[in-house]
Parts: sequence; structure tokens; C-alpha cells
Amino acid sequence: MKRLILAAALLAGFSFVAGAMANEKGEYLARAGDCVACHSVPGGRAFAGGLKMASPVGTLYTTNITPDPETGIGSYTLEDFDRSIRRGIARDGHRLYPAMPYPSYAKLTGSDIADLYDYFMHDVPAVRQANRANEIPPFLSPRWPLAVWNVVYTPSPGFTPDPSKDAQWNRGAYLVEGLGHCGACHSPRGTAWQEKSLDARDSSFLAGANLDDWYAPSLRANQATGLGSWSQGEIAEFLKTGHNRHAVAYGSMGDVINNSTPYLTDSDLAAIAAFLASLPATEAETAWVEDTSTAQALLSGKTDTAGAALYVSACQTCHRANGAAAPPYVPPLAGNPTVLDKDPASLINIVLNGSWPLVAKGRPDAYRMPQFREQLKDRQIAEVVSFIRGAWGNKAGAVSPQEVAALRKSTQPSSDNIVVLKMR
Amino acid sequence: MHYTIEINGAQQSVDIDGETPLLWVLRDVVDLKGTKFGCGAAQCGACTVHMDGHPIRACQTPIASVGNGRITTIEAVGESRLGKLVQEAWIELDVPQCGYCQAGQIMSATALLTRTPNPTDHDINEAMNGNLCRCATYTRIRAAIKHAAEAGRA
Repeated sequence: MKRLILAAALLAGFSFVAGAMANEKGEYLARAGDCVACHSVPGGRAFAGGLKMASPVGTLYTTNITPDPETGIGSYTLEDFDRSIRRGIARDGHRLYPAMPYPSYAKLTGSDIADLYDYFMHDVPAVRQANRANEIPPFLSPRWPLAVWNVVYTPSPGFTPDPSKDAQWNRGAYLVEGLGHCGACHSPRGTAWQEKSLDARDSSFLAGANLDDWYAPSLRANQATGLGSWSQGEIAEFLKTGHNRHAVAYGSMGDVINNSTPYLTDSDLAAIAAFLASLPATEAETAWVEDTSTAQALLSGKTDTAGAALYVSACQTCHRANGAAAPPYVPPLAGNPTVLDKDPASLINIVLNGSWPLVAKGRPDAYRMPQFREQLKDRQIAEVVSFIRGAWGNKAGAVSPQEVAALRKSTQPSSDNIVVLKMR
Repeated sequence: MHYTIEINGAQQSVDIDGETPLLWVLRDVVDLKGTKFGCGAAQCGACTVHMDGHPIRACQTPIASVGNGRITTIEAVGESRLGKLVQEAWIELDVPQCGYCQAGQIMSATALLTRTPNPTDHDINEAMNGNLCRCATYTRIRAAIKHAAEAGRA
């Protein structure tokens, strides 16, 4: 519900700025970057900051990026603005934490930076709201190590098109690697919490990663656990609506659907799809093939395991005996990459905590996953998730009650468990 | 979108968004109000109907997903032998209190007896787990299911 209110508040904020003189290109770029997802709080004003995020060094609060001269970025020149977005250095010279995805935004062209600047300075309503101080232990608070981090992990500003690829692919690469900052969640991170790769040249790029108790699936062409079985049209449909015949968006991807990708043009979505579809698989996987024996057993009442019995009583009335559910509205469990991933975090998380409404361009979707946190014990969730991961031709490993218990604890609403970036 | 679906043995044509829940179509379009809206989130079972004899929650079933599935609602469940026995057992044992959830209870119970003619307490727990009753008529529901099972054996 909070998410819905947030989406409505943000939409209201956006319509307010869509005046005749507004910099539409800048607004479009701000959408593509999904700046509002982090620089706002539920019920708050758009871009006024204040969202609490956990980081390896402590708790951060996102900042006010409205043009208020005292509490926001109203006094920033274009050069200041550029330096903060593409190099992670604030106007007063202090280094930003890379919770701000400037290693990705470094890819932006100077002209897009200028349009964004124009939009933020002239079209975003100024909000006087002081930034909250970060909560970081004193011995971790010096920011000079970030300067070293930046030298190693932040590319120099600008985007260099790959001349061996066509214009559509390069447009897709620019959006995905740059403003879209898809790798912030979908790329694995290294020991310094840096994304292991920031562009298509490396096979770890968008290869899937565990962040914030969710596993952000691989966006590469892996047949079972990635997008290998998705057509480019289906990738674009997912970004435009949050739904397609394979899956429905969940977790932090909900913020992307609610605020960002549905606002992109069809040609940009097609470019993103063409780019993602070109990323080779990281390993040769067998594509999912339906095994009808599970459905036959469930329909005839043969529930020989506790997991199967739980599936019948808790899941089957929506996801159906054949696990095919009702796509694109209710996601299938049979062959769904999130179900097949080696890392079961997302599947467990969504059973524990359910899903929130997706509001693509102001229209809430009709169906959502209820939460089973209060109804099912750790052992039961482990049993039913293990059943789902082995049913209908799915070939993924069993899940232990300990894994469920750990996620139950860390996703407790009262938990302040430190993960890389906490967005919930 | 235009959909033709089979409800209680009759073909029904509806012109409606594919995302619309079957429950909306049943109650508001074809005017079968026996199926109740409870929680709207597949958490209470009040809206249970049968698709090809198996229980589904109508509130979580997009009309676009019904396809050729044969839908049976509380209005027609009594046309099957088992459905009629369940309804008779419900009357015999005076199961309902306020009655709001009972259409869903009867649909789930009938589906259970169809695939498991002699259910154990465990079978009943599993099959009826998703059907809530705020009046807590659960003990009478269990007794009525056993009563209907017994009548079915006769």
C-alpha cells in the first residue's frame, strides 16, 4: 500500500512539472535514470530525498535534489551537476557514496547531462527539506578512500559506441549501462562492493546478483536462469508493463516499473531489448521443458510429499496444478527464471513477504502474491519452495529451513540488517 | 477483448478487459451472485469456483486465462451427484452460521470428495485450509464432509 501511495504521489509530482516550457527531454532522462526511486520517500515530495539506505559502512540517507538553493541543488552550476552525476563529487568537494550509481552515470553524454540539469533546475519544484545526516561510525566516516575507489572503479565520463554494432544496439547499451544503471542490482559485486563490470565487454555484466535479500536474475541469454527464452518483444513488454508470459516484476524492480521504464518510448525499449538479447549466456543451460507428470499427480490428489500437499492447499488455486498460472497477469512457476535460479532468495522472499502493486503509468495491476510470513513456518516454506523448484520440469535445488529462517529474520520490517543497499 | 467462456454448462459471451477477475464477470456481468467476494487476495476462499472440476479462486483468475476451462459455480454444483450430497449434508448438519463463506466451502468440499471419496482428517485439513470461516463453523464443516462421504458410499 505504501508503494501505491508513493507511486501516486510521484505521479502527481510529475504532472505538476509537465508544463508547456518544461524540458521534456530532461524529464524523459530523469525517468530513464529512475532518480525519483531513491531520491524520495513514501508520501514525500518528488526528489526531496530522505530515503534510508543501508550500506557496508553504515546508514545513508538520499539527498534533496530539488532546486532549493539551501537544502537542495539550487546553487549547482552545470559543471557542479555534471561532476556529481558522472564523477560522484558533490559541489563542496566531498565524495558521494557509490549508493549513487555514478559509475554507471559516468556513461552519460554531456548533452544529456545538460538536459537533465535544465530539467532539475527549472522544472522540478523546489522543496525546502534539509538532508538527514548519515549514520556512519566515526572510524568509517572519512571520505578520502572513496577517491581511491573512484580511480579504480569509476570509468571516465562519456559513452563510446561499439562501431561493430548497429545504432539500435548502441542506444540500448547506452540506456542499460548508463542511466538505467541495471547493473546496480543485476551485476555481481566484488570485494570493494564495486560492480564487477560496468559494460557488455565482460561476461559478469548483468549476470545476476543477490542484493537486499532478493536475487536479481541474470539478464543474459542463459536458457533457464536468464532471458534466453524471452523474445526481444517479450523483454520490451516486461519493461513497459511489468508483466509478460514468463514473469511479473517483484522486489526493487517494482520501483523501476512504477517510475521508469513504462515511460520510455517503444523504440528505446526495443533498443534495450536488442542489447540485452545480445549478451551471451554465462553457461550452457538446458532450456526448460514441461514435465506433465507433476500436474497429473496433483490433479489426481497424489500429494506424496509435504511440499506438494502445501502447494495444493496454498498455491494451486492461483498458480494452478500445471504451474502455468495465468500469464501475463499471474506469473507461471513452471520455467520461470526466478524459480530456476541457483540462488532461491527471491522465491523465498516473495513467499514470505508477497508482492506489491505494479503501477505502470498510473494503472495498478490487479493481482498480487499474498504474504505467507504468518501462515507458514520456515520448514513449510522450505518444503513448498523445494517442491516448486523441482516440479513441472523445473530443475533447481532444494531449499533448507535455515535459508528461510535467515531471510525471514533479515526481511522483518523491524530489521536494520546491513546489506549492500537496502531498498524496502 | 471478447471472451466466450462456459459457465455452468452454458456458453457466455463477455466483452471485457482480459485482466478482469472471473469473479467480476460472474457477479457483475452474468449476474451469478452466489459466489462471494471476500478478501480479493486469494486468502479466504469465499470466491472458490471449479474450473474443470478443480477449485480455483475466482478473484485471482483473470478472465483471459479461463480459455476452454469449464466453470462451475455454487448455483450449479448441486447438479452433480456429489455436489448435491454435499449440499444435503450441509443442510442436515445445519453447517452455516452467517453463511457468507459457505458457497466457497461447499465448492472446495465437493472438489475434495470428487478426487478423494473417503477423506481423512488430514485430507480435509489440506483441502479446506484455504477456506476461512469467521463464524468458525469448521467442526460442522468437517462433520458434513464426512457425512457426505458416507452418503456417497451408500
